[in-house]
Amino acid sequence: MHDPLMTICDLHVAYGKKPILRGATFDVLPGECLTLLGANGSGKSTSLNAICGFVRPASGSISMDGAELAGLAPHEIFQHGVAQVSQKRDLFPDLTVADNLRLGAMRRGGKAAAQTLEQIYARFPRLAERRNQATRTLSGGEQQMVAIGRALMSGPRLLLLDEPSGGLSPEFCEEIAQLMDGLKSDGVTMLMVEQNLKLAFRAADRFIVLRDGLVVDGGDVKAMEGNHDAIIKNIYL
Amino acid sequence: MFLQLSISGLSQGAIYALVALSLTVVYRSTTIVNFGHGDFVMAGAFVSYVLTVMLGIAFLPAAVLSVLALFILGLCFSRGLIRPIRGGPHIGFALMCIAVGFVMRGIARIVWGREVLPMPSVFDMPPIFLGNLIITGDAIFIIGTTAVLLIAFFAVLALTDVGKMVQAVYQSQRGAQLIGINVDRFNDVTWGVGAALGAVGGILIAPVSLLHPDIGASFLIKGFAAMTLGGFGSLHGAVIGALLLGVAEQYAGAYINTALIDITAYLVIVIVLLVRPHGLFGRKSVVKV
Repeated sequence: MHDPLMTICDLHVAYGKKPILRGATFDVLPGECLTLLGANGSGKSTSLNAICGFVRPASGSISMDGAELAGLAPHEIFQHGVAQVSQKRDLFPDLTVADNLRLGAMRRGGKAAAQTLEQIYARFPRLAERRNQATRTLSGGEQQMVAIGRALMSGPRLLLLDEPSGGLSPEFCEEIAQLMDGLKSDGVTMLMVEQNLKLAFRAADRFIVLRDGLVVDGGDVKAMEGNHDAIIKNIYL
Repeated sequence: MFLQLSISGLSQGAIYALVALSLTVVYRSTTIVNFGHGDFVMAGAFVSYVLTVMLGIAFLPAAVLSVLALFILGLCFSRGLIRPIRGGPHIGFALMCIAVGFVMRGIARIVWGREVLPMPSVFDMPPIFLGNLIITGDAIFIIGTTAVLLIAFFAVLALTDVGKMVQAVYQSQRGAQLIGINVDRFNDVTWGVGAALGAVGGILIAPVSLLHPDIGASFLIKGFAAMTLGGFGSLHGAVIGALLLGVAEQYAGAYINTALIDITAYLVIVIVLLVRPHGLFGRKSVVKV
């Protein structure tokens, strides 16, 4: 068994006086795709935002290779190799596709960034065609490609995906699943929050169920194959 | 006469452009309207006055030092007084800006009282005569300096990686954080740049006008009028709005009534907000329901 890439231990996060995470504990293993499942308000997106530094944990630990990330600012956490594709994508709408992608690689050298850019274009040929278009003129699916491509441009050690299928057509969800297969085979570690359980089970290696800010279930997706109903019951009932 | 008024208007508009642009730079990155900005303009003018008249430093190095001083002042203002109240009510920012502006004005009044101070002319060259048209050295200096600064500013913004980064923060602060930009530090620098650009306006107006501690107040309202006309948040709109305001003041004063010069900015604000609230280049806000 590999040592975990990231360890989240007894994490508590509250919005004002309302607690969202109440001691969540889990590991992310290198090279895996781990999906966080749970009903609305269970703390899935909050977990990602706490890892990225957008919300400050009240207590607990988020460690990556011995470095403590809890409480750091988002740009400092990014320096540790954590990149997020957020639910709203947070692109730069008036900048071109190429500019959006290049900005994702600001912390890297020009040569490495240029190489990764070519890899991104090879992975997303549609972005190569639209490289000089402003991102606001792209479809939702294409914007999601830019968001994922921008995150990949930084060469992340851990890629966080918050609802990657949000608002996309079923055809595009399949494209996302194929893309994630490709990323996994390239050894990219992913932590995903996904409401679309079909995509979640299709893409993930492991799952964790959050309920009221606590981890209540988890395991290997393949081992639960054919018994997804039990997981769904655990999430919603 | 029309051309003469246009040259005067452009010269005046160039100063307004610097003030409006500096207000917009801060507004775009922080969504804060700096109601104390006129006093930063005043401070820039007074620092250059102290350096040139009282310390005898030549105008150009004094101007550079003044801009640098105001950059540092703007940066410290953001770091020390704006950052700590972040997360509070938005009106708190406005009140902080007003309060600090009045403090700066008060300091100037303590030192110089309410007297007006003459600043020596920078460009002591004879005016250029083109037929009936007279172009003064000061007008050439103001329009030329502003043009160079604006070209450099927009070139950096459009053509360099730093400029793309600035645009990125303007368009999505969260997105900027997701690509590793330290947005807090960026905002500090933005306040510095805003104060420095405003200071350039003050330094340029100082030799052609009389200095007094209240000089910034009128520039603030001109800056607001230019922003309104150009469209809130539009950088090029602020510049074009300012130039149009400058010439409009001259035309209104010459062809209608000289009293109109002082109220043109207010009229522009009222008319634009009624007729075209998003200004010439601003975007209409669309609310999806």
